[in-house]
Amino acid sequence: MTYALYVGSFIGAVSLLLMLPRHGFTPRKFGALLGAATLGGLWLFLADHFDQILHVRMAYYYIFSFLAIASAVSVITHTKPVFSALWFVMLVLASAGLLLLLDAEFIAFAMVIIYGGAILVTYVFVIMLATQSVEPGNEESAPGYDRIARQPAAAVATGFLLLAVLLTVTFRPIEPISQRKAMSDAATISMQLSDRRVNHLVEKAGVEDPALLADAGRVENVERIGLDLFEKHPLGLELAGVILLVSLVGAVVIARKRIEAQA
Amino acid sequence: MSSWFTNVALTHFLFTGAVLFVLGLIGFMTRRNLIIIFLCTEMMFQGVVLTLASFAKFHGHFTGQTFVIFALTIAAAESALALGLVVLLFRRKRTLDALSWSELQG
Repeated sequence: MTYALYVGSFIGAVSLLLMLPRHGFTPRKFGALLGAATLGGLWLFLADHFDQILHVRMAYYYIFSFLAIASAVSVITHTKPVFSALWFVMLVLASAGLLLLLDAEFIAFAMVIIYGGAILVTYVFVIMLATQSVEPGNEESAPGYDRIARQPAAAVATGFLLLAVLLTVTFRPIEPISQRKAMSDAATISMQLSDRRVNHLVEKAGVEDPALLADAGRVENVERIGLDLFEKHPLGLELAGVILLVSLVGAVVIARKRIEAQA
Repeated sequence: MSSWFTNVALTHFLFTGAVLFVLGLIGFMTRRNLIIIFLCTEMMFQGVVLTLASFAKFHGHFTGQTFVIFALTIAAAESALALGLVVLLFRRKRTLDALSWSELQG
């Protein structure tokens, strides 16, 4: 089975190498087709080799995963930086879809809000500030550092060697650690959220609404993360706040420096 | 053959996470535009987030998702500082080429 991973990695490396921008003609479409075929073939081959079942809807995984990988390839192979940033937004959305499949609703939405709403907006602003103009008809007027990839063969070889090794390790059977499993909803409510009362909801509604009772008996993903964060990682939380403060001060200090424009 | 249409394994999500990480790595090493280099760093974070979340679901524990919040904090802080540096460097040399700073080597 490892041979399939190695062969798949090698053909994937070749297809990515075809797509990276270079002098003259870049066979992007052919590289893209070859890459898509490799991915499809690898998935078909790996379908029989699952060891752990997550009970997740299959078709959504394939769609989101294909979108994510295609967007990632577009980010690294597109010649114009603005398009790279836009394809990165697509990548964030596809990755949010995959996170929703994993019952991680909070981090799916946090990804979209923080990446797509804050970090990528900052990137697009900086691209606007720092990009030289390109004449629309003339492809050669784009700056060379965008049009030509630097040492693509060595980079792709290194990257896919790492990927082949990672995949070989990934497809070994492992068992979930059952002692560390989180408590069920009912146990969590009784032990940690003991003052969560259903009664006041019922009083307001006036009737015994089974939907309200069911809602109160369920612990949402956000509550789970909150309980885990504040109970088990309080120091990490404080340090994260300090790091954000440090980066804020650092960014202001960096941006204030006056530079004489040199030719 | 119909079984692969209904079951997805942990390994599949780890596969996607690994591919995203390696694509970010290749983009980081290959592109010469300073902004795109940092964008590929963010892509590596995406791969890691996916891996963390899939292990959190696999083990039934929520620490993986909590750690994603910390990783996101670091990613945001790092991107803010990196973009500040990029703007500063662009003001000095009027180019976004990473190789234009290579005179610092050797």
